[in-house]
Amino acid sequence: MSIRLEKISKHYGQQVVVNNVSLEVKDGEFFVLLGASGSGKTTILNIIAGLIQPEQGKVWLHERDVTTLPTQKRKVGFVFQNYALFQHMTVAENIEFGLWVRQVPKAQRQRRSDELLELVGLVGLGGRMPGQLSGGQQQRVALARALALEPEVLLLDEPLGALDAKIRVDLRRSLKRIQRQSGVAAVLVTHDQEEAFDLGDRIGVMNFGRLIEVGTPHELYQYPRTEYVASFLGSANLLLGQVKGNEVMLGKNSFPLPVESHAFSANDRAQILFRPEDVALAKHSSDLGCLPLGQGKILEKGFNGPNEHLQVELPAIQGVRPIAPAVPYGNTGILMDVNRSPEQSTNLPILPGEEVWVGIRRLHVLSHPGMSFLLIADGSLRSQSAIVTGGYLARMAHARVTMLGIGHDEGKLDAFLQEARKELGSGMASCESQIAIEPFGEAVNHAIERQPVDLVIMGWRPTSGYDQPEQVLRAGNHHLLLATEPMARISKALVCLASGEPGKDTVNFAGRLLRHIGAEATLLTVIQEEPNDDYSQSRVERFLEGGQNSLARIGVLSHARIRKGPLSKATKEEVETGDYDLIILGAPLPDSQGHIGLSSSIGSIISSVENSSFLIVQSQQYQRLQNRLWRTA
Amino acid sequence: MESALPLHERSVGWRKWVLRFPSILYLGLMILVPLIVIIQDGLSEGIAELVYQVSLPIAKHAIQLTLWTSALMTLINAVMGLITAYVLVRFEFPGKRLLNAIIDLPLAIPTLVTGVMLVMLYGPQEALGQFLSTKMGIEVIFAPPGIVLALLFISFPFVVRNIQPVLQDLDLTQERAAETLGANSWQTFWRIVFPALVLPVINGSLLSFSRAIGEFGAVVVVAGNIPLRTQTAAVYTLGAVESQNRLGASAVSILLISIAFLVLLMTNLIQKKWGAH
Repeated sequence: MSIRLEKISKHYGQQVVVNNVSLEVKDGEFFVLLGASGSGKTTILNIIAGLIQPEQGKVWLHERDVTTLPTQKRKVGFVFQNYALFQHMTVAENIEFGLWVRQVPKAQRQRRSDELLELVGLVGLGGRMPGQLSGGQQQRVALARALALEPEVLLLDEPLGALDAKIRVDLRRSLKRIQRQSGVAAVLVTHDQEEAFDLGDRIGVMNFGRLIEVGTPHELYQYPRTEYVASFLGSANLLLGQVKGNEVMLGKNSFPLPVESHAFSANDRAQILFRPEDVALAKHSSDLGCLPLGQGKILEKGFNGPNEHLQVELPAIQGVRPIAPAVPYGNTGILMDVNRSPEQSTNLPILPGEEVWVGIRRLHVLSHPGMSFLLIADGSLRSQSAIVTGGYLARMAHARVTMLGIGHDEGKLDAFLQEARKELGSGMASCESQIAIEPFGEAVNHAIERQPVDLVIMGWRPTSGYDQPEQVLRAGNHHLLLATEPMARISKALVCLASGEPGKDTVNFAGRLLRHIGAEATLLTVIQEEPNDDYSQSRVERFLEGGQNSLARIGVLSHARIRKGPLSKATKEEVETGDYDLIILGAPLPDSQGHIGLSSSIGSIISSVENSSFLIVQSQQYQRLQNRLWRTA
Repeated sequence: MESALPLHERSVGWRKWVLRFPSILYLGLMILVPLIVIIQDGLSEGIAELVYQVSLPIAKHAIQLTLWTSALMTLINAVMGLITAYVLVRFEFPGKRLLNAIIDLPLAIPTLVTGVMLVMLYGPQEALGQFLSTKMGIEVIFAPPGIVLALLFISFPFVVRNIQPVLQDLDLTQERAAETLGANSWQTFWRIVFPALVLPVINGSLLSFSRAIGEFGAVVVVAGNIPLRTQTAAVYTLGAVESQNRLGASAVSILLISIAFLVLLMTNLIQKKWGAH
């Protein structure tokens, strides 16, 4: 193994730039880190090189722990985006610099620089100054310089980013050839997916400091596990449908579940991916040659090189929600990207406006269900807290967002939601909005019926009371975040746990969320009995240890704390000692009518604490049990 | 460009002199005429007389003293200015902003005050001055070290402020590249950073040198006016003017002007030759 990163984390101020990244690069492998700017990929490269120190985690190069070793001793070759050639030295002097530092005799240095100039295709240019070379040539020099010391690993930070498209393709080929010839393991950072596909033996996709998926270009394109990777690589048609047994259901249409998806088809809702080239178009459904999805209208037609590119709009399908491509605001249909080969477009010429049958030749079910959030907004100042906090969480967790505007004035709500969408801005997986002119409880019920979610986020102040939060919790088995102020950063969370099964659910969901935002957790259990009860003390300790272990497994840093005394008083004391942005609580169990009373139980905690938001986690176990009871009844 | 060119060509005849004439006249009256007057005055008795005037023992000593103290100051200033600028740009430390502001202070303080400050610190009656003279045998005030100190004080900003912007613009990745190639910080500084700073260091040094040879205020307080010992060229010139030795005054002045002019010329040449790259 040439490079091994073990749970690397790095913050700048409060912001997490690298979030618990582990990675292995094999000998001789060309590994590409792909991600948007600000995703932390360059920071990882700098951490491997030793130019930046991680706060946590270990770096191994060729089975040698180099975490604390300075850059000079790591034997890495580094190529920078802006070449970083020494401007006052000749090309040969640049290449020989590393050898000069190691006091290699001049004759030997010259021989090596001649070799390298030949390798990178710049024979005879050793005497030139960097300023006399083109960008592409300068980057070749930089590459030769990085290889001069025969490094153990080669690190390339967007080496082709500053070059023209044509030169980029040329240099890309040479880069791959040179890497193969020298046999050195390479890590290249880029935001250009074409480059990643072309160069990478394997690709790691990064977003907001997390390494989301690693795989060969083929695996990532055809069988992505997460929505982010599915929509980031190439264009994707992504629908939220259902899996039942061995079938994928998109409305009334059923498709066989692909073999590779069988292992993880347990849950009902599923994200279904099919690429533009997997879509079949025909005049009649019988001519599709595959299973049909429905009839649609051609919106646009264009060419991307040899292929014809079409966009088709299908009417809404009951139980199916489009995720990508994004549906324009106010539109109810499903958009679909289609690519057709020249042969296909000659056989069946299609013009915009025409009606066609749409079929799916091949589909893939994402194993990672992805989270979806419901943001409740009523146009008040309070709902601003929900939008800012919800937007932040959704971006970090790459969750789908539905904004639900509840109120009386449709025009005003519409304007407010449009404004909010603008504010949420980029980096959102998908964001749609709905307007409901009906009472709060009904509006929430209807929205959840249409589309179950993982988390509901609403703005809340202690003065608003518990009616609305209780109504939200009753509407489904989702969790609830009460945002007391607009938070664009959460770095410390307090998880209040009652030991037992519901507590495990609280830890699981809290972990799932905190992992995305890179926050650390403090697990708190309050023992109400008299302090001389050793048995309960050790039981709680074991329980907290289990919770910490589950969090550690998914890379969330946690502390455990036990306090004694009355629940709300002890909790308040803990809140005052730590600087918590978020307090996570388990929802109380519903009474026989399914009513969840907040005021009597956790209300005492919520009202005693100021300036932090609350996440109320509902136990899924209880819900499952209840479902089973209903079914048997 | 196409529309600008005809407009430019149209401003023919008297029009094009409307703005040019006053500025040329101003330049001429303010700078050229005094220069011509002093040169003409110094040469009125012929070159031989001029040479004679500057080779009089007192004048000669004053000029030599000025040149070597200025040169020594320039050398120290170049090294310390380089280090100061490097520290100010590349490192973070508490009080950095304050230090950065203090560097310009010598430009604002009247040079006479600078002299007084140094006398108060190093004067024979002061603690530090006494310690230096009795224990170390170093006389500062009314001696050449005082002159060098005064000159260092007044010209400190020139080198630092010349290097700072260049260093700030210098691509940090070059230093990082050197690090990845195994260079330690000393090698990185000398092989990577310093070559880029040679030009601003020379520029700043030459500027501070030409500023120093004409310094009067600070020097006259610190060095006093002892002929053949601590009298510098500028102080000598004042004495010559006061004692009606008009020819001596203009002769030394012409020499100072020529040196300053030569230094400026050199700065420009260096700038042209290496700055373009």
